[in-house]
Amino acid sequence: MPERASPSIGLAAALGLAGLAVFFAVWAGAGVLGLVSATFLPGPLTVLGELLHLLTHPYAGATLPQHLAASLQRYGGGVVLAVIVGLPLGLAMGWFRPLDAVVSPIFDGLRFVPPIAWVPFAALWFGTGAGGPVLIIFTGAFPPVLIGTYRGARMIEPALIEAARMLGTSNRRMLTEILLPGAVPSIVAGLRVAAGLGWQSLIGAELIVVSSGIGYMMVQGEAAVATSTVMAGIIAVGLVGTAIDLLLRAAERAVRRRYGLVGGGR
Amino acid sequence: MSAIVFAGARRVYDLPSRRVVALESFDLSIAEKEFVVIVGPSGCGKTTCLRLAAGFDFPSSGEVNVGGQKVTGPGPDRAVVFQHFALFPWKTVHDNIALGLRNAGVPAAERERRIESALKLMNLESAARAFPHQLSGGMQQRVAIARATVLDPAVLLMDEPFGALDAQTRVVMQEELVRLARVNPRTVLFITHSVEEAIYLADRVVVMTRAPGRIKEIIAVKALREQEGWDTLPKIEDVMDQPSFVQLRTHVWRSLRDEQVPSE
Amino acid sequence: MPGRRGLIAAASLLGLALLWAWATSPFGPVSPERFPSPPLVGAAFLQIATTGFAGATLPRQVLTSLGLVIEGFLVAASSGTALGLAMGWNRRFAAFVNPVFQLLRPIPPLAWIPLVILWLGLGNAAKVLVIWFAAFVPAVINAETGVREIPGALLEAARMLGTPRHRLLVEVVVPAAAPMIFTGLRLCLQATWTTLVAAELVGSFYGLGHVLSEAQQDIYPGMIFVGMAAIGVCGWLTTAVLGWVERRLLGWHASARPAHA
Ligand SMILES: Nc1ncnc2c1ncn2[C@@H]1O[C@H](COP(=O)(O)OP(=O)(O)OP(=O)(O)O)[C@@H](O)[C@H]1O
Ligand SMILES: [Mg+2]
Repeated sequence: MPERASPSIGLAAALGLAGLAVFFAVWAGAGVLGLVSATFLPGPLTVLGELLHLLTHPYAGATLPQHLAASLQRYGGGVVLAVIVGLPLGLAMGWFRPLDAVVSPIFDGLRFVPPIAWVPFAALWFGTGAGGPVLIIFTGAFPPVLIGTYRGARMIEPALIEAARMLGTSNRRMLTEILLPGAVPSIVAGLRVAAGLGWQSLIGAELIVVSSGIGYMMVQGEAAVATSTVMAGIIAVGLVGTAIDLLLRAAERAVRRRYGLVGGGR
Repeated sequence: MSAIVFAGARRVYDLPSRRVVALESFDLSIAEKEFVVIVGPSGCGKTTCLRLAAGFDFPSSGEVNVGGQKVTGPGPDRAVVFQHFALFPWKTVHDNIALGLRNAGVPAAERERRIESALKLMNLESAARAFPHQLSGGMQQRVAIARATVLDPAVLLMDEPFGALDAQTRVVMQEELVRLARVNPRTVLFITHSVEEAIYLADRVVVMTRAPGRIKEIIAVKALREQEGWDTLPKIEDVMDQPSFVQLRTHVWRSLRDEQVPSE
Repeated sequence: MPGRRGLIAAASLLGLALLWAWATSPFGPVSPERFPSPPLVGAAFLQIATTGFAGATLPRQVLTSLGLVIEGFLVAASSGTALGLAMGWNRRFAAFVNPVFQLLRPIPPLAWIPLVILWLGLGNAAKVLVIWFAAFVPAVINAETGVREIPGALLEAARMLGTPRHRLLVEVVVPAAAPMIFTGLRLCLQATWTTLVAAELVGSFYGLGHVLSEAQQDIYPGMIFVGMAAIGVCGWLTTAVLGWVERRLLGWHASARPAHA
């Protein structure tokens, strides 16, 4: 019988802490007990120390914040491009059936090529310039933007539009008070997925094509067998990814509230 | 000996924010092969009461006994028919009905024989290989009843079993249930919001007060039904036209009406 | 209506092909050194199919990648689904595992690649481990959600019918969670392909990602195109197989969908 009720908050916290304790104990213990050489699995404290060290000391040509800044710049470029292209296209596809029929098959055909497979063309077209990673981030972030917007545009019930017409709603009002609020939740949900996939694609791109950024730092660390640097990089990447997601979650909540889609406690 | 006995049963839910008394000093004895229907305002504790008998839930104080034994958990001796059918969507009609028999270790040949007769009894022969979603609501509910009755349970517990059905299907199901109950009487605890349904089906109707639910009134129907010869009438609407029925319905209505929460 | 839509789709793809042929032709604006023309793609395909490219012919490259995808997918999907089922089944176990899971979850799968190369080199074991990091997560989340969202009445019905505790998993939990589990498996498969291609691009001896990376170094656009197309076709093929399995196992559910819509 699956348990239906969650454990009490106190018990859940205790169990969670126990889980974390086991995780860190195994991580730290493996090195201490000599099961794995510390070269390949530095302990948590070593990695934390390395993370702090990288904040101020350059590695592979830049400090960690500088690497992250370079990455975020490309990331922003790719995601913004995906929104600029995906949003209008998605709305148009949702509202004009013929366009949908024309674009969908092409989109479906490209769906099975992972964004990262664009790396060779990105390198060919842009060399080591900024365009390469931006293209790859774009290919990662574009589909969810398009799909989210498309779904949002399709989601609006014809009855709602008719009701608004019946009430004598002007075209401008129609857009701002009926069509957009109907589509926005799905659009924002798509943006959140896009942000995540874009971040992931960026890391992939940076492992391969560039000479700066957090991914590049990790590859350099790998080549130098600096495991703690690589692991510090993983943590930094995870933290920034989480921060981006939290920001977008907050934005999603704000938007949903703005359009009256959140009830009291839900 | 009584089949189901609630002795001072009380159920309290302790929620983080407040404490909900779902059932209060509930005393009821249901006799062997008796058909008891509970009516009461929404949230008064009807479902709670049925879940205590089913063994899905336990009283905070007091006791619930079925067949002279304290209820310690669910079991095939107390088959439940759920409001939304709760059929297994990945099993065919046949396999839904078979599960209980398989659990009971009934040999395959005997099992097939019993499933067949259950299907026949509920007019489901042609739907044996269908999945639940391919059936109408009425058929789904017949499957749920077949699944419960094929185990030949001592007690049948039904929580608003016809609540999700349209009015016409509902009438058919009510007539069918009466037919079943007269062919093969068994102990039934039945919950409904419909006063007509309650009086038509019941040997006794239990009216509950609004939350926290207690028993307000118990109305004996069986003697009147037999005296007035309701069972000899083939159609439910004929029964409902009887002055005796109308009078009883008005009585139960008034009793329930007093329990509605005054609207603010 | 679907016939008309299919016609438009065919016309759209044909139009795209013509546009491509024209754009990369001598009269078009795109230099074939930037994006290959159809004949160049054909030549590249012929080369890899017959004499081979990047160390092997196309079948060998495809089988290498496909084999790793299947292996990685099976390992990640089975372990992830098992953990998810356990977490959904036992809330205390979930409370125990969840913080660690949430700690590791935000790490983009591809970020594990350098670490795994450090640990295991460029061989197959490294690929499978990276795939596991990537594909494990969706399998866990969906299986757990699937179990948690099983309607309580179904479990009660099963208990009422006398189903013994140990059989509940097979009779109710797995079939009821199966649609969600398959949602997870589809995401899992997608993650598997992405990570494998990335891992092969970063370093490998055979495989479609290796073809891409060699073609990139040789500045050989036709072969880049062939590599990407091969990846797309393989991805489509594995997805189709998974879809077929899902329809076979979940016939009751797939056909249930239109009725509910
Ligand atoms: N699991 C639970 N946790 C907290 N409160 C509950 C729970 N189950 C029932 N209650 C509360 O107990 C009271 C009685 O509920 P119950 O479901 O028995 O009512 P009911 O008579 O069946 O109502 P309805 O006619 O609407 O089905 C209600 O106030 C309900 O909110
Ligand atoms: Mg109820």
